[in-house]
Amino acid sequence: MTDSHTVRAYDAELEALGRKIAEMGGIAEKMLSDGMDALAGYDGDLARATIACDLRLDVLQREIEEQAIMTIARRQPLAADLREIVAAIRISGDLERVGDLAKNIAKRALKLSAETRMQRAIIGLKSMHETAAMLLKDVLDAYALRDADRARQVWTNDVELDALEDSVFRDLLTFMMEDPRNISFCAHLLFVSKNIERIGDHCTNIAETVVYLVSGEVLPMDRPKGPSPAADFQTSK
Amino acid sequence: MTSGVTVKNELPTKIAVNNLQFFYGDQLALRNVNLPLYTNKVTALIGPSGCGKSTFLRVLNRMYDLYPHQRAEGEVLLDGRNILDPQQDLNLLRARVGMVFQKPTPFPMSIYDNIAFGIRLYEKLPKSELDGRVETALRGAGIWDEVQGKLHASGLSLSGGQQQRLCIARTVAIHPEVILFDEPCSALDPISTAKVEELIDELKENYTIAIVTHNMQQAARVSEYAAFMYLGELVEFATTTQLFTLPENPRTQNYITGRFG
Repeated sequence: MTDSHTVRAYDAELEALGRKIAEMGGIAEKMLSDGMDALAGYDGDLARATIACDLRLDVLQREIEEQAIMTIARRQPLAADLREIVAAIRISGDLERVGDLAKNIAKRALKLSAETRMQRAIIGLKSMHETAAMLLKDVLDAYALRDADRARQVWTNDVELDALEDSVFRDLLTFMMEDPRNISFCAHLLFVSKNIERIGDHCTNIAETVVYLVSGEVLPMDRPKGPSPAADFQTSK
Repeated sequence: MTSGVTVKNELPTKIAVNNLQFFYGDQLALRNVNLPLYTNKVTALIGPSGCGKSTFLRVLNRMYDLYPHQRAEGEVLLDGRNILDPQQDLNLLRARVGMVFQKPTPFPMSIYDNIAFGIRLYEKLPKSELDGRVETALRGAGIWDEVQGKLHASGLSLSGGQQQRLCIARTVAIHPEVILFDEPCSALDPISTAKVEELIDELKENYTIAIVTHNMQQAARVSEYAAFMYLGELVEFATTTQLFTLPENPRTQNYITGRFG
């Protein structure tokens, strides 16, 4: 909506929320790519820098929540404004979690710098990372442009990430069976792949929020999902 | 544009307004309004000053008949019968469709007589039965506990919020079917407002209610259906949830979010 409020301070409050979400999005994207670079390049400094970034993300999330609550209390938002504020609260929560997951990747990168190196095991994770980074970028663009169609695409495209995770899982399992000395290294990578897959899930959450923000529509519960990597190995799910 | 009715489900309708036009002299104040008031539901009318919402309310019990040069065209069907019919008995109509105004308007008489007055107009009851009706009405309006010890004190001695509830008691005393509220809380403090809102919530069990309010949050709190009017037209009518979270018409959205130029 382009019209401004009669009370201009109200516009300023909503704009501030949008700006902070954009900043959080930028930080989360950078943390994910730096975390993965640190992992692939066994770069301890980069890993530590990535871990340190998470604090800013947490602070921003707190600020967004506080501002949103204050705006609800002061302005009693309705219609598009209400959806805008609910969206900011939800999206900031998802981005904060993306940051946590990227931080966890960076922590594992630190640990792995001491392990036996096995470059080929990381290749599958790289394509997972590329897909997740694309989902994150697309969904942040969809939010910035208030583009529900683009958000819907992210929502359906996450299935690719699920499929990649399944194949990475099988590869890592093979490496571990080939040589037990790979187990420690590959176990860390298993967690990394899970983290990336979870980042994809947060992107779909954000996509759902963007669709709600723009159209008021609530997407169905049964999002298309790829194969679950652990399905063959679990007795109960 | 004729109407913005987006409610799909068919509920029992107490009052159906069809193609209503209203004139103050030559001036057209309501343009082709179509709106249902569903039985035992609360319908809120919102819109900027001068949009026609109070005029609309005044048509529903033909309050405008008191003034010359004011006339309505179209149909207002109360249980299927057109109340705009010149043959309509106005006293009977106003007994069926009661009204509560913006400023409390107690009569300059005792609390008891404020209630009994209306009942006596329509029915001849023995004293004991009349006492019972007065008590029931005061209880129904949630003010019995505050006035039971001083029923013969003047109605004007009550606080503003109490006076408003006294007026509501007076309205329900004659067992109407529909109650129209025109800005009932605009002169009340938040606690009195909350009491009136609680009362509206209870009254809808037995009555069909229409409320005009400038307070958007009040409309959101008390109503199940809401209508947005602008410049004498009905812009949008929907469930309150729909209207306040996802209005269809951009003018509704602009108004309820405070973006009106």
